[in-house]
Amino acid sequence: MKRKSLLAAALCAATALSSPAFAETVLRLDEVAVGELDPAKASDYADSILMFNVYDTLVLPQQGGPGHVPHLASDWSVDGSTYTFNLRDDVTFQSGNPLRAEDVVYSLERSQALGSGLSYLLAGVSAEAVDEHIVVFSLEQPYAPFVASLVRLPIVDKALVEAKKGDDEWGEAFLSANGAGTGAYTVTSHNPQEETVMAKNDGYFLGVSDVAPDTVRLRYGLEAATVRTLIAQGEHDISSQWLPPEVMTALANDGAQLFSETGTGAFYLKMNTTKPPLDDVNCRLALAHAFDYQTAIQMVAITDDVSSGSAATGAIPVGMFGANGPDNVQAQNLEKAAEYLSACAYDPADMNIEVSWIAEVPLEERFALLFQSNLSQLGVQSEIKKLPWALFAEQVSKPENTPHVSQIFVNAVTGDPDTLLYGMYHSSTPGTWQSPEYLNDSQVDAFLDAGRSASTDEEREAAYSGLNARLMEIAPTIYGYDRQSVFAASNRVKAPALSDPSQAFGLDGMGFSFRLMEMVEE
Amino acid sequence: MIRAIRILAANPLSLVGVILVALVVFAAIFAPWIAPFPTHNGAVVDFAFANKPPSARNWMGTDLVGRDLFSRILYAYQISLVLGVVVLAIAAPVGTIFGLLAGYLGGWAEAILMRIVDVFLSIPPLVLAIAMMGVLEPTLTNAMLAVTVMWWPWYARLVYAIARSEREEGYVLAAEVIGAGTAHIAFREILPNCLPAIITKMTLDMGFVIIIASSLSFLGLGVQPPTPDLGSMVAEGARYLPDSWWLTVFPGLAILIAVFGFNLMGDGLREVLGVDE
Repeated sequence: MKRKSLLAAALCAATALSSPAFAETVLRLDEVAVGELDPAKASDYADSILMFNVYDTLVLPQQGGPGHVPHLASDWSVDGSTYTFNLRDDVTFQSGNPLRAEDVVYSLERSQALGSGLSYLLAGVSAEAVDEHIVVFSLEQPYAPFVASLVRLPIVDKALVEAKKGDDEWGEAFLSANGAGTGAYTVTSHNPQEETVMAKNDGYFLGVSDVAPDTVRLRYGLEAATVRTLIAQGEHDISSQWLPPEVMTALANDGAQLFSETGTGAFYLKMNTTKPPLDDVNCRLALAHAFDYQTAIQMVAITDDVSSGSAATGAIPVGMFGANGPDNVQAQNLEKAAEYLSACAYDPADMNIEVSWIAEVPLEERFALLFQSNLSQLGVQSEIKKLPWALFAEQVSKPENTPHVSQIFVNAVTGDPDTLLYGMYHSSTPGTWQSPEYLNDSQVDAFLDAGRSASTDEEREAAYSGLNARLMEIAPTIYGYDRQSVFAASNRVKAPALSDPSQAFGLDGMGFSFRLMEMVEE
Repeated sequence: MIRAIRILAANPLSLVGVILVALVVFAAIFAPWIAPFPTHNGAVVDFAFANKPPSARNWMGTDLVGRDLFSRILYAYQISLVLGVVVLAIAAPVGTIFGLLAGYLGGWAEAILMRIVDVFLSIPPLVLAIAMMGVLEPTLTNAMLAVTVMWWPWYARLVYAIARSEREEGYVLAAEVIGAGTAHIAFREILPNCLPAIITKMTLDMGFVIIIASSLSFLGLGVQPPTPDLGSMVAEGARYLPDSWWLTVFPGLAILIAVFGFNLMGDGLREVLGVDE
């Protein structure tokens, strides 16, 4: 026995001595498939993680506060609708090519030409390289959130893509399998259904700390029970935010840490305003008052301190322009709901409200059940429909196929209310997964346009407060709760951007900048 | 009857089967009265009791929205049994008619009917059902339809094999000689001799139908929530293993009990009715 423990101690000492020299640190995490590597097609969370690590953008969100700071740019100036950016001259791509203004122009044009992902953010923008390190953007119309939108313009290595593209005009095949950025991590292997492996880029222009992970393995489509077991066994480091709250709670009770990222987004129950009986505003208001907001928030609580939801105060998440104060917290009110229902032109006895939930997000089934029981308290029949994401996205393209109620989680992809609300409510963008309401309201359109073209923060605040009030009045949507993303993680990793509010980016996925993470010996 | 009881008594496993099946049927029929929380078969939520392990209040724990698992399993038996009975009540007669006609008539009728059967049998059963459910809306009726479509050919083959050997028997020839019609011979003379085999197979199949239906709802293609269904309960709970084990273990056991019971009872029946393997 004694010899055994001596031996063990000796072995431990040997490991401790040798680890700093040899240990290659590996960070393992998971996300929902598919991992889209082409930065012009990136749209969801997994894509954003890839994009923010393999590519860089001209600006970055200020950590711990509002506004943006230069990143690939050294500074910028604004003159009306013309933005002039000076680029840093010490940046090289992973290929070794230097970063030039023409790369920025190429990246914008490529994104606009492909027209997928988040390219709509930069529609109506043109760019010109006036010299090797100066690029000028011209906007067709005033667009207040332009600088914020630049966090979704990753800069692509033009020379490399041109060399590798073959007959493929925009090098889509090449960029969907390879990285061509300046980022702190290079792609070593990529299978969009299974795993992307990345390695630290030692030539990164800002340098990468020694404690940042040497290798990152981002796996796709792991089952919740698998992630739960892997983390408990020390074989996984950070879960996706889609792990059910009960599983996160179990992991936290086992000693896992919880990371969080306050995105500016919310959980919505979107009502199809073209389909009877929800084409009647009183009926929509009845449903909005019937929803049990408090229970919904309790359902997503993970521990006493951490929850992935906080009370909504209106149509705009707290922290954004136009958000209401805490005295406007949404709450269930069955009496008011019954009042509105009796004012509705349709007979409640004939109603059968379809409540859909997205098959890939099991949590939504519970919200559907909650809402169904709320509706039955009101004496309204309802029917729960499970829809795989692909089918849902197809059904919402026609108002008559769109369910009465669609549950959606949406985050502002740039942290600006314009990107959250314009696509949802402007009458020019009906029938996308974000806008199954098919809202067509001239006042809402006017507020959205005003918020987009306003030149000062005060004007934007005024426009979005007006929008908020109008949306609460016509109730196209039930605003379930403001959400934040929570991740369960092992104790081998530190991620200040995901645990310290003063280091947080306020932008979805940016907290997963691996260069800012630290691997620690347990 | 006395012989039947004697055989059953000599074979305790069959007796166990009969008891299990009786329990399952009893649970299904009297679910509204036995269930401690009879309202929990529907759209009820009680988040104060969500995801609780088995206790004196909830013998099998509660699900993620706080419904009593024991009550839901009792109600889920109703769905499973109704599905099993309906599927077999359609599949067995359809298959029997196909098999009888093919087996007795022979020739062209045999060739055509049995090739149709072969086409159905050549597709793996669950794949056929999944393909059908992919096209149809996931409802209980469509799930029954999908399972029925994959099930009847097995009866056709069973009855066909018996009918073909019976058609050379003396009593069939005698009936032909006195001028009985085709329908009379097939349904009055041959069919009664196929019945023991059909009944045994139906009992054995009850278990398999329950499993297939559960597999469909495990994949999200069967009965939709909030209606309780054993397969979807297992699927739902699997995400929460190993912490909330009761979510999967009890519905899984419930499937096991039903299937095991019907299989043991089927074996016993086979002996009682004197059907060969």
